[in-house]
Amino acid sequence: MAATERPQGRSMGDRLYDAIFGNRLWRSIFRSGYPNTPRNQMLAVATNVFLHLHPTRIHRTHVKITHTFCLGGLSFFLFLGLTISGVLLMFYYVPSVDRAYTDILALETDVRFGQLMRNMHRWMAHGMVLTVLMHMMRVFYTGAYKPPREFNWVVGVVLLVLTLLLSFTGYLLPWDQLALWAITVGTNMVGSAPLLGEPNRFILVGGFQVGQAALTRFYALHVIGLPLMAAVFMMVHFWRIRRDGGLARPL
Amino acid sequence: MAAAPQTQAQPASAAVKARQRRAREEELLVWPDLVFIEFICAVLFTILIVGLAVMVDSILLDRANPAVTPNPSKAPWYFLNLQELLLHMHPALAGVVVPTVALIALGAIPYWDNTAEGQGEWLSTPRAWLNLKVGAAVGAIGTTLLIFYDESKHIQVFEMIAGKDSWPEPLNFMRGLRGIQNEINWPAWTLDVPLGNVLRLDLLGLPKIELDWNIPGFIVEQFIPVNTMVGLPILLSLVAHKLKIAQTKRDHMILQFSGFIAVYVTLTIVGTYFRGEGLALVPYTIFADPSH
Repeated sequence: MAATERPQGRSMGDRLYDAIFGNRLWRSIFRSGYPNTPRNQMLAVATNVFLHLHPTRIHRTHVKITHTFCLGGLSFFLFLGLTISGVLLMFYYVPSVDRAYTDILALETDVRFGQLMRNMHRWMAHGMVLTVLMHMMRVFYTGAYKPPREFNWVVGVVLLVLTLLLSFTGYLLPWDQLALWAITVGTNMVGSAPLLGEPNRFILVGGFQVGQAALTRFYALHVIGLPLMAAVFMMVHFWRIRRDGGLARPL
Repeated sequence: MAAAPQTQAQPASAAVKARQRRAREEELLVWPDLVFIEFICAVLFTILIVGLAVMVDSILLDRANPAVTPNPSKAPWYFLNLQELLLHMHPALAGVVVPTVALIALGAIPYWDNTAEGQGEWLSTPRAWLNLKVGAAVGAIGTTLLIFYDESKHIQVFEMIAGKDSWPEPLNFMRGLRGIQNEINWPAWTLDVPLGNVLRLDLLGLPKIELDWNIPGFIVEQFIPVNTMVGLPILLSLVAHKLKIAQTKRDHMILQFSGFIAVYVTLTIVGTYFRGEGLALVPYTIFADPSH
């Protein structure tokens, strides 16, 4: 089918092209043919599970960098980067008050690229809080929360909270003075709530002060609980953007 | 770009045809136009993050020790705004009520401002920039002034001009928010009003309230902060409305949101860089003090 859409003639290049992009292995993976024609370019997006969150066409103004500054995409990109570097960090880390700190020290001194991996994870975490906040501001100032996108804004607010919680639970894991006391200050704020504050703080920390129970809980929340929740809300978030016709446009 | 694909069905009328062509001409294909931008963006940020990670090591202090409390003890930076609020009002208010209400209000924005005005373009309504600037300026300056008042900075300014110890005695209750509680001779009965004797819940068969109500404490820690946080934004909107700065829902929304962001950023900056030992209002950086 691609034959009619290519220039005429069977040069060496054409035969090489067919050999690479027309063979059975390639065609079994990418069904749509090489995306060098409008038709194949649209199929490349529509038939790919990762790309099909995009529409096949997009309004001219929305590819201008200054319209979005890529902030939502960057938040998602950082989430993916954090997942990858986080999994690598998990190889070397045991969430126990006896081992956690020495594991981080060993990661920094004994593990090849361990320090780099930890640095990347930390800077991406700070970066994600920033990009999510800036993404929220972008959506607000471009008026992109207006009907029919109201609920997606709410989903976004939930994702903002989840991002903060992900960062907060990760803060405790190095088990140094900064971690312990930041979490102590943070959880004490929860404890100050009327009526349910103290019980909630107790559940969160797993005791009267930040110790092993808190470390276990924060670790479980950080590596699986909160990322799963964030992933679910992200699915809804992205799907709704697509359903609502992509980015908001002036009427 | 965007030549219509040849397989496209022929539209019915000339008008439909024209409209469709116009819409199509405004469109680009996601592959390559968007996908490549995303790809390049991802590559640039990977380089940026690796570069940052190579150059700046993340901090690791001494092993956690519950027996040694660092001074100051600070929450992660994005919660330092709440920690800053904590210094000025009741902990339940700053730590729980304010963030909860703020998040609910944030989520409610599209349900209040439900017009299509200004949709899909950066600050495209006539007074959008004006409202952004006014909201941000009032939020940032107002927050700074309120913090200065509560930290008695106005006393320092006054004494710098008028000489040492020149603050008039009768105005001592204006030395800071706490002055209302500490510098006024409150009658003894106001310090512990047995609420159980006023609100007779026991008559309704409910448990008797065992709370003694400290009226000056309540005024300083709850009444004034709540009224400040609710009242000042309302006042801002009213004044902006009178001055015709904010005229539509979208105008007010931009005004309030910009104010909120400015307050949030100001509190975060003050909490991060201007709260030192004992959380006193002094310049402070976490990196300069290894004992933190």
